[in-house]
Amino acid sequence: MESSRQKLTDNWRLFALAVVFFVGILFLACRLYNVQVVRSANFSADLVRQSIRRVQMPGLRGRVFDRNGEILADNRASNCIVYYVEELRKRGKWTRTIDAVNESIDRMAEVLAIPRMVTREAVSNHVMQSLPMPLIAWRDVSQETLARWAVNAESFPGTDIYEQPERRYPRGTLANHVLGYVRRDRPQPLPGEKYHFYLPEMVGRAGIEAQFNSELTGTSGRQLIRVDARGYKNKTWNGDPSISGKDVYLSIDARIQEVLEHALAKENYVGAGVVIDPRNGDILAMASAPAYDPNRFVPFLSTGLWRSLNEDPGIPLLNRAIQGRYAPGSTFKTITSIAALQAGFSADTVYDCTGAFTLGTMRLRCWDGYGHGPIALRKAIEQSCNAYFCNMGYTVGYEAIRKAAEEAGLGRKTGITLPGESAGVLPSPEWKEKTLHQRWMPGDTCHASIGQGLLLTTPLQMAVVAGIFANGGKRMTPRLRIEAPVKWDPDLTDGKRPEGEETGWPKELVDIVRAGMRDVATSGSGRRAQVEGLEIAAKTGTAEFDVRGERRKNTWVIAFAPYDREASMALAVIVENGESGGLTAAPIAHDVFAAAFAGKTAVSEEGGLPE
Amino acid sequence: MKKTVSNLLRNMSPTLFLSMTALIVIGALFIYSACSLREDASLQKLHLQHLMMGAVGLFVYFASASANYRSLFRWRWFFYAATLALLVLVLAIGSSRMGAKRWLFGIQPSELAKLAVIIVLARLYGRPGARRGIGTFLLTLLIAGVPAVLVLLQPDLGTALVIVPTIFAMLFAAKVAPRAVWGFAGTAVLAASVVLGLLLYADRPDVTPEKRAKIIRMTGLRPHQVRRLQVFLFPDRDLHGSGYNRWQSEIAVGSGGAWGKGFGKGEQYSLGYLPPSISTNDFIFSVLAEEAGFAGSLMVLLLFLGLLWSGTGVAFRCQDDTGRLYCVGVMALVFSHTFVNIAMTIGVMPITGLPLPFISYGRTFLLTLMVALGLVQSVSVYGQEPEERF
Repeated sequence: MESSRQKLTDNWRLFALAVVFFVGILFLACRLYNVQVVRSANFSADLVRQSIRRVQMPGLRGRVFDRNGEILADNRASNCIVYYVEELRKRGKWTRTIDAVNESIDRMAEVLAIPRMVTREAVSNHVMQSLPMPLIAWRDVSQETLARWAVNAESFPGTDIYEQPERRYPRGTLANHVLGYVRRDRPQPLPGEKYHFYLPEMVGRAGIEAQFNSELTGTSGRQLIRVDARGYKNKTWNGDPSISGKDVYLSIDARIQEVLEHALAKENYVGAGVVIDPRNGDILAMASAPAYDPNRFVPFLSTGLWRSLNEDPGIPLLNRAIQGRYAPGSTFKTITSIAALQAGFSADTVYDCTGAFTLGTMRLRCWDGYGHGPIALRKAIEQSCNAYFCNMGYTVGYEAIRKAAEEAGLGRKTGITLPGESAGVLPSPEWKEKTLHQRWMPGDTCHASIGQGLLLTTPLQMAVVAGIFANGGKRMTPRLRIEAPVKWDPDLTDGKRPEGEETGWPKELVDIVRAGMRDVATSGSGRRAQVEGLEIAAKTGTAEFDVRGERRKNTWVIAFAPYDREASMALAVIVENGESGGLTAAPIAHDVFAAAFAGKTAVSEEGGLPE
Repeated sequence: MKKTVSNLLRNMSPTLFLSMTALIVIGALFIYSACSLREDASLQKLHLQHLMMGAVGLFVYFASASANYRSLFRWRWFFYAATLALLVLVLAIGSSRMGAKRWLFGIQPSELAKLAVIIVLARLYGRPGARRGIGTFLLTLLIAGVPAVLVLLQPDLGTALVIVPTIFAMLFAAKVAPRAVWGFAGTAVLAASVVLGLLLYADRPDVTPEKRAKIIRMTGLRPHQVRRLQVFLFPDRDLHGSGYNRWQSEIAVGSGGAWGKGFGKGEQYSLGYLPPSISTNDFIFSVLAEEAGFAGSLMVLLLFLGLLWSGTGVAFRCQDDTGRLYCVGVMALVFSHTFVNIAMTIGVMPITGLPLPFISYGRTFLLTLMVALGLVQSVSVYGQEPEERF
């Protein structure tokens, strides 16, 4: 039995372990002595109810500039009165704390003589979901209120002033549809954490603010501040620094934008306009009427305002320039012409307009009931003769028209860097069959050749079309964002190769249509677009349609200038429910050209209408 | 051989029993302090559950103490295999809390696994004629490694790590392959230094963000683990998030002072600075230290010291290696838990989710520890005679 016994584990080894245990416990005891006895004063003593405030240092949102470096969107500091609810914590149920906060807010409202802003519900939501962050009781308070708070601060423990940036649009409604607006998002706690430690940041919800939100957004920095019971800040820890968002430069020229908006707004028109530089695709102006003031969404959008904007029959939140879909009317005859010419239709073909075009049982009236008599293409464009274009469209067939419209970029998005762009509708027989369950009729071809019927375009698409005729056949991709400010100059561009696609339209055919458009501006329906000393080419359009039995007219103009040199500006304007393209829309084109070229090409501001 | 009850009681270690019972009662008191303010009614009675588990535990404790550990340890492979099966099951069908799958029908198999590994290893080294060479060391790595990997998958880094010093203590006591063991320990320390060094280097201001992300990826740790280590290395950083608990815990401990604020008068947890979800388990010591002060902390430390010393004393008196090594393993486990947990609440160690033995609320852990200590008492009772046959 003795032999089976082996040498036991060394006793010294067991003893060594016991020593390790002892030293470990002794170490903890020493550390605890240090924390609880030696340094205890740091943790309590005169800081009986000290607390740590989490402060978020906002990363400023990037600014937005126009092409001349003018500020379109920036930030301003707003002072908020906040509650650090943790410092008002009462023992027991959370409702006791919530009551204490509510009581304090009511008392402060009385002292500061301002109405209470946060609801009781918001207070209890804050306590349950964002306790560690300050509760904003009043936003954007005046200097006077601040002064009153400072005098009374001692009797309101746990309150402080918090500076928050708010978005500011210094030019008010200017370019509001392009810029969009911001709202504050409620951040969600990270997975596995009960609270979130961030105040809501601004988030772009429309336009440029939404499109470039990730670049514009800054990164918040963090800071901890230790305060004692009287609110005295005795220590600050700096966490991550804040980082500002990136600035964005737009191709918009605020001067031209203002003129365009004013021209639309002065008659209370509902409509839109887009001004484009046909040399490089820069969007110089883009307006939609009626407008709204994005400053009213700051510091937060009230439900009342939101509802009224959404229920407004003028739909101010809609950016008609890229989201409005309209029949292009006679402005489309420019494309019909190209389609026919490409298909071998001679520009010299003469058609005798008798005041109507008859096809089987269908009779399509020309706007001149007496008829234009025998005319050729150039004259037909100038006179905008419906019968001529119906005949032409019917002769070459719809497929040729559709092909040319496709080459002009209709029926698909232009690719502008704005959210929510509409593609419009470029119908095809198959499309009609599928969506309307009807066969394509010869009448549809006729309607399409004069820009009516099923065809729908956006003002931006038509501005691009105007650009094609302006530069002689190149479809520019609209550019809204530029890298650095550069002035618009009719005599030179920034030299960068413009992005664009050749339509493949032969130059001599484009020139025929250009000549027709020049005639429209000098002696046709576009006369009111003229500016003295500047050669303008234009095409007007008046698209009629029924609204519950009532005849309505959407009035168009597309135009470019100068005609005699390299064109540096093209535009499209639509006014809903106007008189006619020539009477309603063309004067807006005049205003824009007159202002834009004033002093640039010896054009006097008083240019105005001829005769 | 059978022992009479009086014989049994006489041979049990009283210090071991009394310090354990005192710690459990202290645990219940401060769990009450921390949980009584919870809004959720079901969470206000945690202290009663703790006491109830303690009472159940006492039965099991005496049952294990009265059984001869030499007979019980014959079932060790069965026990080991069963815990492995449970660990696999918990990964398959266990329930998750706070992002980790640790529970299976209310029990945490990872706690059982620690005991199973200690028993298997104690017998492996302590068998008559056992070889204690490099082969045994490699076998140790396998026996401990399989459950450790399963626990890591939950993921529960703390539990997987606490087994390391425990096994190291056993290997040291049994003098298994000393060169390999020290080499291994050296490598582990080196690896830890490399990880910490990388994190320190990544934080230098001249390192670009891309490079920093690359360096941090080189450590192979999960983001929340990196965050905790960073909190440990740079305590003033990120006080909003991960650093917040550590900081508030230190305030709680420090503001307790020498004599504490009084039972039930702690402010840090009652005012919600210490998250209530962790104040009853991982951070229970902060609650205790705030209310009972340094006096209370010291008393708890002395109780732990008494427990550890009496446990080691049992090992001294034991006449067979299996019993001795088993005691070493259990005491090293208790010590590791205690040291890491308390060091964490005063910011000396990074935050890992390890409970404080006997005091933290956690039923599986409490019961496992009581069984483990019951078996230590069994060693005390039966181990004084030399091993005749196992």
